[in-house]
Amino acid sequence: MESVRLPVVNQSGYYEIRLESIGGLGANLCGKMMGELGTKYMGLNSASFSSYGSEKTGTPVKAFIRYCEASKDIRVHSPVTTPHLLGIFHDALIQDHGIFSGCNSDSIVVMNTENNLEDPCAAANNIPSVKCVFTVPAQKIAIETHSRINVVMLGAMAKASGFIPIESVNKICEETLGRKYPQTLSNNLEGIRRGYNEVKRVELTLTGRTEISSEKETEAWGYQTAPIGGVNPRFGSSVISDLSASRQGYFPFFLKERCINCGLCDSACPDMVFQFQKGEYRGKEMMVNTGLDYYHCKGCLRCVSVCPVQALVKGVESEHPDKQWFLPNQDLIRVPDYYEAAGPDGYVTSESYLTEKRIEGGEI
Amino acid sequence: MKEQKAAFASGNEIAAVAVRQIGYDLMGYYPITPSTQIAENLDLMRAEGKTDLIMIAAEGEHSAAGICYGASVGGGRVFNATSANGLLYALEQFPVQSGTRYPMVMNVACRTVSGPLSIKGDHSDIMYMLNTGWLILFAHTVQEVYDFNIMALRLSESVNLPAVVAFDGFFTSHQKRRCMCFAEDSDVRAFIGEKKETYPFFDIEHPVTVGSYMNEPDLINNRYQIHQAMEDARCGLSKLFAEYGEFSGRLYHEWEGYCQEDAKTILILLGSSYDTALEAVDVLRQSGKKVGVVTLHVLRPFPADEICEACMSAERILIADRQDSYGAGGGNLSLEIRAALQKKGCSVKVKSLVYGLGGKDFYVEDAIRMFEWAERDDTPDFEYYGISAGTALEERDFFAPLTRDKTAVGATRVEETESGITVSGGTLNATAAVPKRLAPGHGACPGCGIPVNLNLLLRAIEDPVVLLFQTGCGMIVTTPYPKTSFKVPYLHNLFQNGAATLSGLAEICYRKQKKGEIPPGDIVFIMVSGDGGLDIGMGSAIGTALRGHRLLLFEYDNGGYMNTGYQLSYSTPMGARSSTSHLGKNQYGKTFFHKDMPQIMAAANIPYVATAAESNPPDFIKKAAKAAWYAKNEGVAYLKALSACPLNWNDRPDKERDVIGAAVDCCFFPLYEVEHGKTSLNYDPEKTGKKIPVVDWLSMMGRTKHLCREEYQEIAQELQKEVDRRFQCIKEKV
Repeated sequence: MESVRLPVVNQSGYYEIRLESIGGLGANLCGKMMGELGTKYMGLNSASFSSYGSEKTGTPVKAFIRYCEASKDIRVHSPVTTPHLLGIFHDALIQDHGIFSGCNSDSIVVMNTENNLEDPCAAANNIPSVKCVFTVPAQKIAIETHSRINVVMLGAMAKASGFIPIESVNKICEETLGRKYPQTLSNNLEGIRRGYNEVKRVELTLTGRTEISSEKETEAWGYQTAPIGGVNPRFGSSVISDLSASRQGYFPFFLKERCINCGLCDSACPDMVFQFQKGEYRGKEMMVNTGLDYYHCKGCLRCVSVCPVQALVKGVESEHPDKQWFLPNQDLIRVPDYYEAAGPDGYVTSESYLTEKRIEGGEI
Repeated sequence: MKEQKAAFASGNEIAAVAVRQIGYDLMGYYPITPSTQIAENLDLMRAEGKTDLIMIAAEGEHSAAGICYGASVGGGRVFNATSANGLLYALEQFPVQSGTRYPMVMNVACRTVSGPLSIKGDHSDIMYMLNTGWLILFAHTVQEVYDFNIMALRLSESVNLPAVVAFDGFFTSHQKRRCMCFAEDSDVRAFIGEKKETYPFFDIEHPVTVGSYMNEPDLINNRYQIHQAMEDARCGLSKLFAEYGEFSGRLYHEWEGYCQEDAKTILILLGSSYDTALEAVDVLRQSGKKVGVVTLHVLRPFPADEICEACMSAERILIADRQDSYGAGGGNLSLEIRAALQKKGCSVKVKSLVYGLGGKDFYVEDAIRMFEWAERDDTPDFEYYGISAGTALEERDFFAPLTRDKTAVGATRVEETESGITVSGGTLNATAAVPKRLAPGHGACPGCGIPVNLNLLLRAIEDPVVLLFQTGCGMIVTTPYPKTSFKVPYLHNLFQNGAATLSGLAEICYRKQKKGEIPPGDIVFIMVSGDGGLDIGMGSAIGTALRGHRLLLFEYDNGGYMNTGYQLSYSTPMGARSSTSHLGKNQYGKTFFHKDMPQIMAAANIPYVATAAESNPPDFIKKAAKAAWYAKNEGVAYLKALSACPLNWNDRPDKERDVIGAAVDCCFFPLYEVEHGKTSLNYDPEKTGKKIPVVDWLSMMGRTKHLCREEYQEIAQELQKEVDRRFQCIKEKV
């Protein structure tokens, strides 16, 4: 096999890739495929792994890939901190300061977004000094081709990288996905093809853009300040977590005039979204649904399914930037200073065939 | 050298490959992160007919180790894999395995030991093995996981001592690397050779007693035999390494080093950090620093002489421990190396650093800093590396405390009448006034049933509550430090003894109240468990039930070990797919029926047993209120709710209430209660004409919908029969 030449390597001789995603978009499998294709089809040595934690969907996930010459061992086991290539699987993530961490002006960023802004990073408070940004509407392509975001991103990153041949990507797809889900192989290959062809370089204007600071000073308990034994007196403190990023395009839209205050939504919601307060409904004193706490709604739409009067319907998030009936948790006695994007943990503990299939959204 | 081929695999994957190639007879196991994938991968191979390994999923690690022991006494080639608390739970079995001299191999994907609970990698579990009489090989690369597994079995059988192959959890168990494997299984088997049994147990003509009762004249001799066997292993190791070197082209030694020959400063680390530190050596050598790094491949027998030899040139040695033997001035690796150096009379300066606990990442820069630390004269002999003093977190409360006046809104009323305990009110609208005990912002998956069921339970209980969770998804997603979702007193204890823990907790509360140390008034003590917690914790739950403490056992039954990636639990429906019950030409999913926990608890004759489903909220709330009443006034109440897991049931999050409803309508999960031994069926789908075939429910979930196919008809029919039989049993008791 002829070796692919890596365009650039770091001091230790590695080409490093980091994928930023949320659970359910398939970044883990994408990382695995990128790792495998290095060893198997590019004549390189390679390694790949994901961020690990408890198993769940909707939380931030990172995947890491390293390439080097075939003759060299990959000795480093730590996460990729200064990626040559950064793949961002969900554009909600760019709100998060940390995802560009370690990028410099030579890094290549590939972003899944339909946003046609000149500078897709402008939405982020921390605008990185990355010069080379590519965008691809991976979600749209995935829907149109009945493939998955991860394969579209794979195609797009192959193109943007400048050295990953599409033939090798196709081969790894045939081998990995073709064996497991043969019926969807052609869709996935089409997803790769379109990702490869439709990814485009975005010209960025450099005004106002700064170098990214390496680490933001954060408040954290340490050995001097943490209560002993891991005891946590901050009861209910998870309320400061903003879980909006868990929603995958849809949210429960509330039509208050239809609501009969039966409380079924409240009984079906795993996330305490519904704010029932004492009030009056049709002249009767009762608990009344006054609004929804969208900070904590993960978009499962259980409430839409159980609502007997269609007072809750499935809404497309992008059509409702300002949500009506948005009410923070009513039991709060003070508004938290901030709502943190939730979930420092990834979700990958298991990489068996079955787990992959579930996490990759198979067989629903 | 035998023919080999390149694989791209993680440590766990390659361990499974080695196990398959070796051709073990049996694996007894219990899922625990991060070692579980070994069993998962083997189960998949089993389903596909690539191995005929007998795989027994125990109800806990203690039993898994027992299964392995029994099978090895029987003369089988036996394998186990575990981590962390699982290893500790099984610990009692290990000295028996070695003390009675039965070889086997166990893989340990090293992980930190609770508590506070963490699932990430360090070496605090494996060091508990040092005194068990097991051989211990430590692999720092994926390649070594493969090679050491092959060598371990031969070593184990050659001296009749069991062996551990340890490697870093996640760093080695989960990271995928290039790795060479033998092309032919037969080569691997030839290398290991035929198993010879010292005392064949099934030789009826020569019956043997295994497990004698031994008094003081004898036991010490038995122990000396173990010592001798260890020494035999020590002698045999170099020959084994040499033979394997010829066989594979990879020559190992008891230790491995890099640039250590002329190094003035040597860093000794165990596991994957060794490889990372190699980069640091390259960096420092470029600036002329004479540094080197050393790791160990063998912990038992401890290669004391060899490690001293490895460090001959050093003026300073820094031993980095990924665990601490608290109070001893170093981790166990440090203590043993320090002892070895003393034995050899080395006067080298030795320092120890505890680092990387709970999987804290280890970067090249860290290794460089460690070298600098070792070379400075003003640094102490022992310290922790990577700790932070921290800042104060904002302490103002987010919520008002949920005192009785906040929760006792009168939405649900429970009274003792002549006809028994009656519940009035309890409508969804009225109970919406009870503030949620759980704050939002927890990390459960979209559509998760656990918080739904918890909220249905707690909205019916207007007294203050104390919650105790066994390990499981429910606790992991609600208490991500430094946040917590609980607004009420909450305690997490182990996976298997939550009920016992709550017994102690409740009794102290009742005592304090009696003594007037805390205010009187009802408090409802609730143990919450799911994710298979009442498999491993069943003994503790039954013990608690039999003792009759005043508390409530609440089970959210999601039918699998969901927090670790959905391995089968005993309540997984028969035929369902899981990570340890794959579908394939040789396997149809889980092979035995779901456990009937309510009937088991009913047989303990506790005052109240009930099942509840979110598809019937009024019934749920009524039972929750009743269960709380019994828990306050009489003794143990047990309430079980079927709990949806969209991720692992593989169905749509928004449809979960329908799925739960179908489980009730097909009588897989009948809604009934057993009150003082009297059974009443609260909802009879047969009477209302709502009864559906079990396959209709199975078809709603990705994990079971294959059972609707023609080829699995028999399984589905068997399950239908069993469900009907159990339902009729309940009806007969009414």
